[in-house]
Amino acid sequence: MIVGLLSRAVLMSTPLLYGSIAEVYAERSGMMVTAIEGIFLIGAWAGFTGSYLTGSLLIGLIWAILGGLLLSALYGWITVFLRQHQVVTGTALNILAVGICAFFQRVIFGVPTTPLTIKPLPQLAVPLLADIPWIGTILFRQNILTYALYLLLPVSIFILYRTSLGLTIRSTGENPEAVDVAGISVVKVRFLTVLLAGIMGGIAGSFYSIGYLGMFADNIIGGRGWIAFAICFLGNWNPKGALIGTVVFGLAEALAIYMQSLGGQSFFPNELFIALPYLLTIILTISRRSYNVPAKLGEPYVKEN
Amino acid sequence: MDEKLRDSVLFSILAVIAGLLLSGAMLLFIDKNPIEVYRILFSSLFRDKYTFFDIFVKATPLIFTALAFTFTYKASLFNIGAQGQFYIGSVVAVAASLFLQQRLPGLFVLAIVFVLVLAAGGIWGSWIGFVKARYQANEFLTSMMSTYVALNFMNYLLRTILKETKGEYPQTNPLDKTVWLPKLVPGTRLHWGFVIALLTAILIWVVLYRTPFGFRIRAVGLNQRASEMSGINAKKLYVLAFFISGALAAAAGLTEVNGMQHMLIQGFNPTIGSEGLGIAILANANPIAIIFASALFGALRVGGLVASQVAGIPPSFIELMQGLVMIFVILSNFCCGELDRKREIRKLRKAAS
Repeated sequence: MIVGLLSRAVLMSTPLLYGSIAEVYAERSGMMVTAIEGIFLIGAWAGFTGSYLTGSLLIGLIWAILGGLLLSALYGWITVFLRQHQVVTGTALNILAVGICAFFQRVIFGVPTTPLTIKPLPQLAVPLLADIPWIGTILFRQNILTYALYLLLPVSIFILYRTSLGLTIRSTGENPEAVDVAGISVVKVRFLTVLLAGIMGGIAGSFYSIGYLGMFADNIIGGRGWIAFAICFLGNWNPKGALIGTVVFGLAEALAIYMQSLGGQSFFPNELFIALPYLLTIILTISRRSYNVPAKLGEPYVKEN
Repeated sequence: MDEKLRDSVLFSILAVIAGLLLSGAMLLFIDKNPIEVYRILFSSLFRDKYTFFDIFVKATPLIFTALAFTFTYKASLFNIGAQGQFYIGSVVAVAASLFLQQRLPGLFVLAIVFVLVLAAGGIWGSWIGFVKARYQANEFLTSMMSTYVALNFMNYLLRTILKETKGEYPQTNPLDKTVWLPKLVPGTRLHWGFVIALLTAILIWVVLYRTPFGFRIRAVGLNQRASEMSGINAKKLYVLAFFISGALAAAAGLTEVNGMQHMLIQGFNPTIGSEGLGIAILANANPIAIIFASALFGALRVGGLVASQVAGIPPSFIELMQGLVMIFVILSNFCCGELDRKREIRKLRKAAS
């Protein structure tokens, strides 16, 4: 049972880690990607629609990436180049994303009589490793998107802390003037990290539709984008912290699903478990003290003439 | 200053038109004639008294949630949790009304419920300000998450103690007619809640721009360090601003429960918070402009619903229109800013020469 729970936790953590690593990169460069909820949603919708129409999960994934990229490009254009407020723009785009997904869902599929489903990404057992007791089942009987993270996480830590590219990104959030003086375009760095967040957020969103549910619903994301956003804060703007955060949230979600399946209405109400990840965010937000906020987070960069 | 106002009004109108044009273009994907759809949408608003006044029925809660966002926004705080505060307000309104309706005369009940709703919403909101002041907890995150907590709290109550006596659906018993907000225009759904909303908007404008308290709120919003240096207790203001913001959003719960639905149903009005935020943006966080922006969003919703029934367009077209209008409003803010900057430069050049 515990193995099942942990394996489920790894599954539920996967999209959150994609989202929060992306958010770490963007916020380190000074950009809060507040459109993340909408990017997740577009990813989920485009991933599902692409897979359903072409019959290929790979093409669905590409659609999801393109969808996330498009929305993040719009977000980046408005916030980076036009220097508009990041929270305000993100909120507007999140509403727009709901409209776009619901509208085009209807345009493409009409009003279906039976729910539309696809076969989600298969669970792949890694040869040898999957046979390790406990750990094998938890870590090596997942789908391809989770495995990609095993590579992506160390790479993202390495790039952010050990390469000049990472230094540039971090400096852009701390001291954009210095980056500018060094001859690197601040707006370009920020725009590119936002686009990266769009790609990763698109993948994260598609995980919900084609990763394990195999369907799309308007409320499929249900605040998970915001949780990824929160994990970035709680993880102290560090991919390692984000990893810890996502595992905690993955566990909370797995536990919620498990308790619901038990039907343990008698003692604790279901709703408490559904609210658990959100309550956890609040408690952690309040209890975390040592902040490492990028100095220029959320502030547009205005070049002096 | 005058030119600035003229620009901002002009560009806001252009932005609304641009947003409607682009979302109209989307209708071509479903082989609908946008001109025909918009003709139905706007003419339906004036087809009878009932539909016309429904615009303001829909606008009423939106005015409250938009004001809720605006009030904290002026202090540079983000209350993204208006939706949750609205739920709390709705729960308290329905619970208190059901409990008191047999025991006291209607008007008394309404007065007591109103106070309770404001207090509950205010307390639910003010802890966000408190943890921000005390623990530097990011209010954006805590307020956002508080909505989901409030939603599940409401669902829990609807499943258990507030569930209707028939026990069929997750909804409460209907309220007695005595505790309904009285009708404003007979033969329509418009109730006195709309008048309360109008008065509240004016009151909030007065508080923000004509009282020392409002001045302090705006000073903290413009420059927190400087305002603290000059002796303003920013931390106390955080709690107060969030209290008022929460109370405002909760008031929308009262007008919806006692004025409109006359009961509490699971999953009702799920977009009131985000729409309020959009309206606040559209209105440039001006309490008076919020009234007009809310009427616009209300009209889009009412007309959109009629158009979806008559012309067969998907109801999600409403969100599409609202989203695109908001994007264009943000773009128009950029244009206004640029125009203003150019004007300043011209002025400076003139002065220098």
